[in-house]
Amino acid sequence: MNCDELKGLLDLYLDGELPDETARQVDRHLMRCQPCAYEVRTLEQTRALLREAVAPAEAAPAFRERATARLLDAFAAHLRPAPEAADGRQWTLPFLREE
Amino acid sequence: MENVITKEGAARKVGGRAAGIQTHQETAYEQRLVARFQAGEPEALGSLFDLHVDRVFAYARHLLGSREDAEEVTSEAFLRAFERAAGFRGECPFRGWLFGITRNLCRDRLRQPRLLLLEPEEAERRADGGRAAAQMETGALVRQAVAELPEDYRLVLTLCDVEEWEAREVAAMLEKSLPATKSLLYRARRALRARLNELWEEDEEEGRGKRR
Repeated sequence: MNCDELKGLLDLYLDGELPDETARQVDRHLMRCQPCAYEVRTLEQTRALLREAVAPAEAAPAFRERATARLLDAFAAHLRPAPEAADGRQWTLPFLREE
Repeated sequence: MENVITKEGAARKVGGRAAGIQTHQETAYEQRLVARFQAGEPEALGSLFDLHVDRVFAYARHLLGSREDAEEVTSEAFLRAFERAAGFRGECPFRGWLFGITRNLCRDRLRQPRLLLLEPEEAERRADGGRAAAQMETGALVRQAVAELPEDYRLVLTLCDVEEWEAREVAAMLEKSLPATKSLLYRARRALRARLNELWEEDEEEGRGKRR
């Protein structure tokens, strides 16, 4: 494997998407080629820094609850538009929104 | 009451976050939920929300930069997608609608004049002492570099390399082909590295200036 061939495989290598045999060829090339090894190392470091600096976004439990409640209100109002629901209660939260 | 997510969709949750690509099975599962929702079952609405909320929220959070904005967009996107699904008969492309609505809502928000605040990440808020200061400095530089990238670079990087979504899933969210998404990701990684190098050099230059 030469440097040009490696260039096209670099990100696949970083992402662990190469077949084992090809990954081994890349490993061997990186042992011998400093510029390519440097290229891989700096990309790995960049990704590691990104993962340290930016946390995965998780919806907070309180938000999930609020959002689900809002959806259920809208569901009741929108899909059961009859003035009286089965349990006799009047649904008072109309599904208002702007398109 | 049947817990649909646990019973039928457990494979979709890994470590509390939505995972992976939407397979044929997942699509069929989603269609069943939509049909149940259309038949008036509120539990199906909750299950559809659980199925997609992490993806929608993560997209909005990384694009808009603010948790509050992301929550508002997520909530509104689901409302609109459900309303559309409620009035639709036949096989409705719920997920496609939901993602499309999310993208449009985010674009609308980005067009509004707004102050972009880079929120410190949880890990840094919890850390202490000198390590925290150094970590915050590096973290702030990295986030600055990310924030300065073009929007599509920022999204593909955070969704692929932070959220660790499959590239196919990101492609669906960004409305791009798989090869185009991968190519975008590879360019984005190099752009981030280049911008980080520039910021570090500027930072070091500033430090030298102060010492003189």
